[in-house]
Amino acid sequence: MVGIIGVGMTRINRHYGKGLRELALEAASSAVEDAGVNGVDFIVVASSLSYKQVGQLDLAGHLASYLGYRGSRGIAVESGEASGLAGLMVAYGLLASGVADKVLLVGVDKLTEYNSGETYSHLEGLYDVEGDGFYNIGHAGIAGILMRLYMNEYGVDRLTMANWPALMHANAKVNPYAMLRFAITPEKAASAMPLADPITLMDSYPIGDGAAALVLARGDSGDVEVSRVESSTGYPSPAHRDDPLFIESLRDAVARIGLSREDLEKIDVMEIHDSFTITAYMILETLGLSDKGRAPRDVAEGRYNGGGAPVLNPSGGLKARGHPIGATGVYQLAELTLQLRGEFPGVRVDGAKRGLAISLNGFGSSSYVALLTAR
Amino acid sequence: MITRHWRRRHNLYKLVGSRCRSCGRVFYPYSQRCIYCGSREVEQARLEGDARLVSYSIVYSVSDEAKYEAPVILGMVDIGGVKVIAELTDVSPGEVEAGMSLEPVLRRVTVNGESGLIYYAVKFRPRLGGSGSGGD
Repeated sequence: MVGIIGVGMTRINRHYGKGLRELALEAASSAVEDAGVNGVDFIVVASSLSYKQVGQLDLAGHLASYLGYRGSRGIAVESGEASGLAGLMVAYGLLASGVADKVLLVGVDKLTEYNSGETYSHLEGLYDVEGDGFYNIGHAGIAGILMRLYMNEYGVDRLTMANWPALMHANAKVNPYAMLRFAITPEKAASAMPLADPITLMDSYPIGDGAAALVLARGDSGDVEVSRVESSTGYPSPAHRDDPLFIESLRDAVARIGLSREDLEKIDVMEIHDSFTITAYMILETLGLSDKGRAPRDVAEGRYNGGGAPVLNPSGGLKARGHPIGATGVYQLAELTLQLRGEFPGVRVDGAKRGLAISLNGFGSSSYVALLTAR
Repeated sequence: MITRHWRRRHNLYKLVGSRCRSCGRVFYPYSQRCIYCGSREVEQARLEGDARLVSYSIVYSVSDEAKYEAPVILGMVDIGGVKVIAELTDVSPGEVEAGMSLEPVLRRVTVNGESGLIYYAVKFRPRLGGSGSGGD
């Protein structure tokens, strides 16, 4: 058995005054204080874009001293946007196998060391650099293709698509760790500056830095248990799928964790990977929570904010809480832990017993799923 | 960055993909293992046949290297039943339409600012004499 005994987060922002070290220290200190422990056996560091922006290799080795854990074991994990949950998988394996008793998992990433044009170039690395990424896809081009495909396929108009970002901003407004703490209307989201038409600025995650951390322990300590973490690899491009809008690696990861559609409907709260508006709808329809072509209307009708289905992204999601690429999965886990403890300092899901985190790289080159349960 | 593009010149210049002799699937780009069934029985296959635009995006948020190319029209193209992601050319954003007939053509993709190297690849343009939805 593996429990989460401490969590910590920094507010996601353009932290020009803070490097990886300062961000990681802030989150790790909060998590360790929350856990009330002294030492840890292992630190697992999840990061992704920092390898391009900061360029620090052996990140766990170099961070350990600055976090006060020189001499602990250290390992770094990189799986693109899914790095945070990949880090959990490594931590879980170390604890469940008895190799470690306590693990500090730190997700930390920097996206603001360069101008946006250079950062878009770095983000293209999340896609297949010898396939789709050979072309000038930017960070949102593939998402733009998929969004138009969805709108044409199911006859959904631009304004209806914008229900998701409006809900995410409403949630983020009261999350003290969120980057974008303001409300927007669907009209404003739909008519914002185009990034990769039909995708606007308000359909995309913002560019920000952040760090989140967990202390995990073997045994039955902690109020929250990591019941399962699973994953699957998928195709290099959505063009390889018969239905580009269906994420087969996510379906496979969910099947491996052993959750049926009925089980998913009984989850109290989920933090899902809404890198773009279209990604959120693809996830909901791949899971079967919404019928194909129905997700935007289900969101508008309030199904996912207290209308009977799992509450989605009370944090504000990648859209508005923010998406510091390699750290995001650890934010999802920290937020779900606080929800299950009844302590989340934003939109709270009362009495939540089971939480699910879903993280993808790109549109499913990797998919990760983690199930957390209140003890 | 030259080696990556040089290694892939056949893929990029001639649309060379893969045909799996085990499961029969054809896909792009070329891979020594079948991405569908894992088989090693994969042969090179040049993608041929009618090309049709499945979906597209007008990309404004591009990398610095591509800033003079913006907006980039990025498409998902079905060519003989195989879908590929590639840029469109010789067409303006207002003229692009899902379903339109396309044909491949060799064009410049980026110019590397530091080295001055110019990278080429296949792009798709509206099929001459048969453009518009559904072809001629």
